[in-house]
Amino acid sequence: MYKTSWGSTLMTIVLSLSLGAGVILLLGYDPVEAYYQLFRGAFVGKFNIGGVMERFVPLMLTALAFAVSAKVSVFNVGVEGELYLGAIAAAWAGYAFTGLHPLVHIPLCFAVAMVASGAWGAIPGALKAYWKVNEVCVTILMNYVAIYFTSYLVGNPFSARASIPRTPTIEESARLLRILRPSRANIGLFVALGVLVLVWWMLYHTSWGYRLRHVGQNPSFSEYVGIPPKKAMIWGMILSGAIGGLAGAIEVMGIHGHFLDNFSPGIAFDGMLASLIAKNDIRMVPVLSLFLAVLKTGALGMERFTGVPKTLIDTIIAVFILLAAMEGLFAYSRRRAARSAGEEAA
Amino acid sequence: MSRILIEMKGICKEFPGVKAVQDGLFTLEEGEIHSLIGENGAGKSTLMKILYGMYVPEEGSIAVKGQTYSSLTPKQAIGLGIGMVHQEFMLVREMTVLENIILGFEPRKGGRIDRKAALEKIEYYADAYGLRVHPDKKVEEISVGEAQRVEIIKTLYRGAEILVLDEPTAVLTPQEAEQLFCILRSMKEGGKSIVFISHKLQEVLAISDRITVMRGGKHIATVAGSSTSAPELARLMVGREVFLGGSPVPAAKGDVALSVESVFVPGEKELSKLRGVSFSVRKGEILGIAGVNGNGQSELAEAIAGLRPVQRGRVVLGGVEVQNLPPRRIREHGLSHIPEDRNQRGLDRLSDVKENLAACSFTEAPLSHFGVMRWGKVREFADGLIRSYDIRPAGVDIPASGLSGGNAQKVVVAREVSRGADVLLASQPTRGVDIGSIETIRNELNRAKEAGAAVVLISSDLEEILSLSDRIAVMFEGRITGVVDASEADEEKLGLLMTGGGTHV
Amino acid sequence: MDGLNEILSLVFNATLVRSTIRAATPILYATLACVLTQQANILNIGIEGIMIFAAFAAVTTSYFAGSWVLGLLAAIVTGVVVAAFMAFAHLKAKADIFVVGMGVNMLAIAMTRFLLQRTFGVSGSFHHNDIVPMPRLNFDFGGNRLLDTLFNDYSLFEPVGIVLVFVLAFILYKTVWGLRLRSVGLNPPAAETAGINVALRKFEVMLYSGILGGIAGAHLSLGYSRMFVENMTNGRGFMGVAAMFFGGANPFWGWIGCLIFGFADSLGSRLQSLGLPSQFILMIPYVVTVVVLTLAMMRKKRAETARKSAV
Repeated sequence: MYKTSWGSTLMTIVLSLSLGAGVILLLGYDPVEAYYQLFRGAFVGKFNIGGVMERFVPLMLTALAFAVSAKVSVFNVGVEGELYLGAIAAAWAGYAFTGLHPLVHIPLCFAVAMVASGAWGAIPGALKAYWKVNEVCVTILMNYVAIYFTSYLVGNPFSARASIPRTPTIEESARLLRILRPSRANIGLFVALGVLVLVWWMLYHTSWGYRLRHVGQNPSFSEYVGIPPKKAMIWGMILSGAIGGLAGAIEVMGIHGHFLDNFSPGIAFDGMLASLIAKNDIRMVPVLSLFLAVLKTGALGMERFTGVPKTLIDTIIAVFILLAAMEGLFAYSRRRAARSAGEEAA
Repeated sequence: MSRILIEMKGICKEFPGVKAVQDGLFTLEEGEIHSLIGENGAGKSTLMKILYGMYVPEEGSIAVKGQTYSSLTPKQAIGLGIGMVHQEFMLVREMTVLENIILGFEPRKGGRIDRKAALEKIEYYADAYGLRVHPDKKVEEISVGEAQRVEIIKTLYRGAEILVLDEPTAVLTPQEAEQLFCILRSMKEGGKSIVFISHKLQEVLAISDRITVMRGGKHIATVAGSSTSAPELARLMVGREVFLGGSPVPAAKGDVALSVESVFVPGEKELSKLRGVSFSVRKGEILGIAGVNGNGQSELAEAIAGLRPVQRGRVVLGGVEVQNLPPRRIREHGLSHIPEDRNQRGLDRLSDVKENLAACSFTEAPLSHFGVMRWGKVREFADGLIRSYDIRPAGVDIPASGLSGGNAQKVVVAREVSRGADVLLASQPTRGVDIGSIETIRNELNRAKEAGAAVVLISSDLEEILSLSDRIAVMFEGRITGVVDASEADEEKLGLLMTGGGTHV
Repeated sequence: MDGLNEILSLVFNATLVRSTIRAATPILYATLACVLTQQANILNIGIEGIMIFAAFAAVTTSYFAGSWVLGLLAAIVTGVVVAAFMAFAHLKAKADIFVVGMGVNMLAIAMTRFLLQRTFGVSGSFHHNDIVPMPRLNFDFGGNRLLDTLFNDYSLFEPVGIVLVFVLAFILYKTVWGLRLRSVGLNPPAAETAGINVALRKFEVMLYSGILGGIAGAHLSLGYSRMFVENMTNGRGFMGVAAMFFGGANPFWGWIGCLIFGFADSLGSRLQSLGLPSQFILMIPYVVTVVVLTLAMMRKKRAETARKSAV
């Protein structure tokens, strides 16, 4: 069953890239050269590979956050807000505490970020669990509240009084070690991968995960066997929020070194879409996140060496998402092909 | 002599695994009120849905006003003047009564809705037949009785001459039912013909010109309302067949394990709300709770299991008050529950068989240790159950969605019965299950009883109740109408209790 | 005390009413577009993308053709085309409306950025004197400053928007078409048994939503401003969705929601220009909407519990 549906995802990738090649040709460029430079821009050289890793980490974590909420059947569109809250919480913990050893400071910043954003995620979870309030709309609204709130914080109490709106630079002890210099990739990558494995293990190898999964699949059944669905839904959302907050923390601690107002161009939305295309399957989340990270990073190299604008890749990504969403299309054509093949055989 | 408006002959309708209607026969004369009665699964609803064009029969013919058809569509049926008021109302709750009535057939003034014309037409029907409604109230604000009147006006508004009402009094209070009968009588005087589907004999006798009895999908008899009686109808409905299972097995009876004391439980329908239900069950006995579906049995089971609130009264299990405790705690106090809805409640169709079998015990050793799942042990556990209960196909990793009805139910039974709980609550345990699995499941219930459990068997299958129960309680309209010992129980007595006769307890 | 009075009088005056309406109008068209589809139980989260596409089409056509009317028409056609695509994807290809909507938003931002580069050779924004903006309505109030501030110098589609609120309310609640549309959203089986083609109606309403989205975009780039800026909607489409939820899919209450957003936006900019933090003001419409939604669901639950009660 899984093979065929990933087959259609693969077909969608091929289709999107072909469409892209067609447009590149129309624009007067050489698609082969363009894609070659795209590939090089992502995979050749420490800076490029590092760039991919840099983009991969927040993308994968926000995708994971969404996938976790989907496991308890809640659509957490609020990961962007949780990203911001986690980021500023980590930034604050990063500069407010001094004289700590990195092995203490780094986990402390992570913890502060995850607690803040986890609590934030609990709110829409509770509203849905107790009163069936539509979580899609509440989480979208809460994104704005979170972003405005952090904007206020960075403008006033937490301001660094610098030329751009940002928090003071965090202590060295809170910084994540860089790898693959001169890129901005950092050991946050290992943290993210570790979290991915941990979450997967929790969901599929602990009784807590057993509870969450069943609540998401069938709350009526869960209530009947004795798993309280409301509690599980809220805990699932807390975990989802916490993972989103961790993504924000890593951005601050690994990449920027401080919280920058409006630092995210919609990272969590890309992550959410990656998870949706992966059908919220935790094993496929890193694959699709990597795919998107590769495209985005490679696009820079492609533009530099061939002149094909980066926005074209953004367009191809959007087309890919739309095509992948229209699975009904492929199912329909496959059924027709099967039927006509059957008719021919008869 | 009245002319024959509808003649259905030789109707056969099959759904996967069950023959809903066999050689169905039904005629309707002009200007009569004709009741169609039978137990659940007798085929009466299905037969009428075929008339209304919602189902297509495999065989048979439908003659309406002289024209013969092999099947109908809803549009055709409406065109022929047939209107149906379903058990589940097709009303938009947020819109007004007026809007619901005219939907799809609106009187227009250009693009606007001609409110005046609509009101006039509605008032005409309301006055003609005594169908009092408030045109400008939203459907969510009106009583159920009024909602039903809205549905009736809707069918009249669309030009129905023949009305089919499916269990109309299932949702009404006795007073509202009386009002409905006045309305039906005046509609009959106005030349309309009515089909009244029900299982409540007192009402049917009060209002019908003719009564047709169905059982097991077949036409049993058609009698004149004035020349029959409740006992005769009950006998026809419930039938004299040879039972498969025989009689209840003997077992040593112990103390009272479960005591339900005067409970009041909410329900979606007026007559499935429980108002003061009491009974008790001893160890080593099977108490059967009989009754036609929709009289509060589902609500009772859910209330005992903690899935529905108990507003008043007590549920005492093993000496401990358990009403309104979370389901998990009630299970810990010694309850196992085979739920009525296998697909939504009993199983998680998106998981595999082993996860379903382990769903009640996954937090305990050896299935998990300090919160970490031991999948190897879970597989062993599941494998053991699959073998003892003969679940097919025999694989722990098979997705639950791939199981047949009978095997899916066996998974539920395996999980629940193997816990060896003091009280086993089984709700419609063999509904939609193949013969072989039925036998397995019934044997399990008996084995549980012999091992000393107190078993509550809720079933609308009277044959099942009679072959397993030591004592039988009958539910009707949210109350227990009588409790009989197995030795004194027969179809007539039970049939009467199930359909509204007999004394209330 | 004096300082506070001064600030208050700077902030609250007749021009605040003007700027509220001005800020609310682009959101209003988005809200009305969402109200229409929500009545058929479709969440048009792609309205943001439709607006961006339409805004770009409007500016480009106005620039090359020298006419705002043609610009408006181009925007409307664009809106309908995008909406038709969304309807096809969601209704025929069974795509999740949320993914389609967000995908369209992404596509709109990327494609318009790309086309901006290709067509005008600029990035960031495009403004030029040859862009013909929408006309402004000017009345002579004989020098009365208050009336002048309140009622003079409106862009064409600002008053049209207000009129549209009432027109849409009339259509939804007093016409046959509106009744049938509402039944499709509230109880599709009941609509089907009344002979209404649910799938066709849903498709139809998406197209109308596209028209409104087109007007929204055209107003944004030719009425509200006179240029195209990358991502110029800046979340206004989502605000439209939020206002729609605030108003419970009712056009009039949705308009009130838009006014709240517009008011917060205007108030916020004023505070900002005075050097005071504006974020809490800007937050208010969102918080209010969450509260309104929660209260509505709480009420629903209480009514249901009472209905089922046996005592």
